[in-house]
Amino acid sequence: MTTIKLPATDRSPEIDFDFGANRFKMSGESYPENITEFYGPVIGQLEQHLSGLSDADLVFEFELIYFNSSSAKVLMNMFEKLDEAASRGNRITINWCHDEDDDNMQELGEEFGEDLEHAKFNLVVTSA
Amino acid sequence: MLAQRMYDFRQTLADDGIVFCYSGYITEEVLSGIGSAIKNKLTVETTDKRTARGVFSLFVEQVQNVIRYSAETEVRSDNDGGGRELRYGILTVGRSEGRYFVACANMIERRDVDRLRASLERLKDLDADALKALYKETLRGDTPQGSKGAGVGFIDIARRASNGFEFDFFDISDTRAYFAIQAYI
Repeated sequence: MTTIKLPATDRSPEIDFDFGANRFKMSGESYPENITEFYGPVIGQLEQHLSGLSDADLVFEFELIYFNSSSAKVLMNMFEKLDEAASRGNRITINWCHDEDDDNMQELGEEFGEDLEHAKFNLVVTSA
Repeated sequence: MLAQRMYDFRQTLADDGIVFCYSGYITEEVLSGIGSAIKNKLTVETTDKRTARGVFSLFVEQVQNVIRYSAETEVRSDNDGGGRELRYGILTVGRSEGRYFVACANMIERRDVDRLRASLERLKDLDADALKALYKETLRGDTPQGSKGAGVGFIDIARRASNGFEFDFFDISDTRAYFAIQAYI
């Protein structure tokens, strides 16, 4: 399988992972009923994909409106994996999108971004 | 009598500024349903999205704490024959003195009181920077023992409660205590 496409629900984000093109997007709200059941397969496949890459260009786009603390843990883990893959010579760009009036989502993004040593992190303002 | 009793109950809630109250078994379905209701109500009531999102976050974290940790449980059988553990709790959302509040209460084991009290008191004493550091450290670290979630729920509550939070315990038997937490935005 070269793509994962999951539609957004009330409680889980839309996932659009194109492994062939190395374009990855997550958007919407994230407080799934069962965090492991929802993210386990997605993150598992991403990790497997990352482990086989070198000298590749990857772009990640996060456009989240709300996420709970369990999802924050998944995101933190994902960012660490991305930074690790970037330290091995892959070029990884992370675009963190937030509404212009949502300074809280901006802060949360900055908190994840400030720990990255190898991946490139951009804050992107989307108009409300 | 019935109508008066219910009216008195309504008045008791109103006197405390409670605009929303639920008491019963709290499941993920309840969280989804009430969560949408609260979100809609906040959207109508406040134009300040930051406040609305903050109240919603407090609500989600508190409800998930009840679902994970309430000691008052009942196992109900599913249609497919499996058992499902339901957890009892009370949750309220309200507004008083210009602040929103979200409160939850549930039963816990008395042996867990000291540990919970100590960790909440510690959170209360931390400033924004220290809370942020602890939050990130906890997100990165392994899930603490006895925790079924990320273990960061209370830290998240402490961070989002811009007007602070309070909590309390009340012994109800030799083994059980009642725990309540109320956070303000």
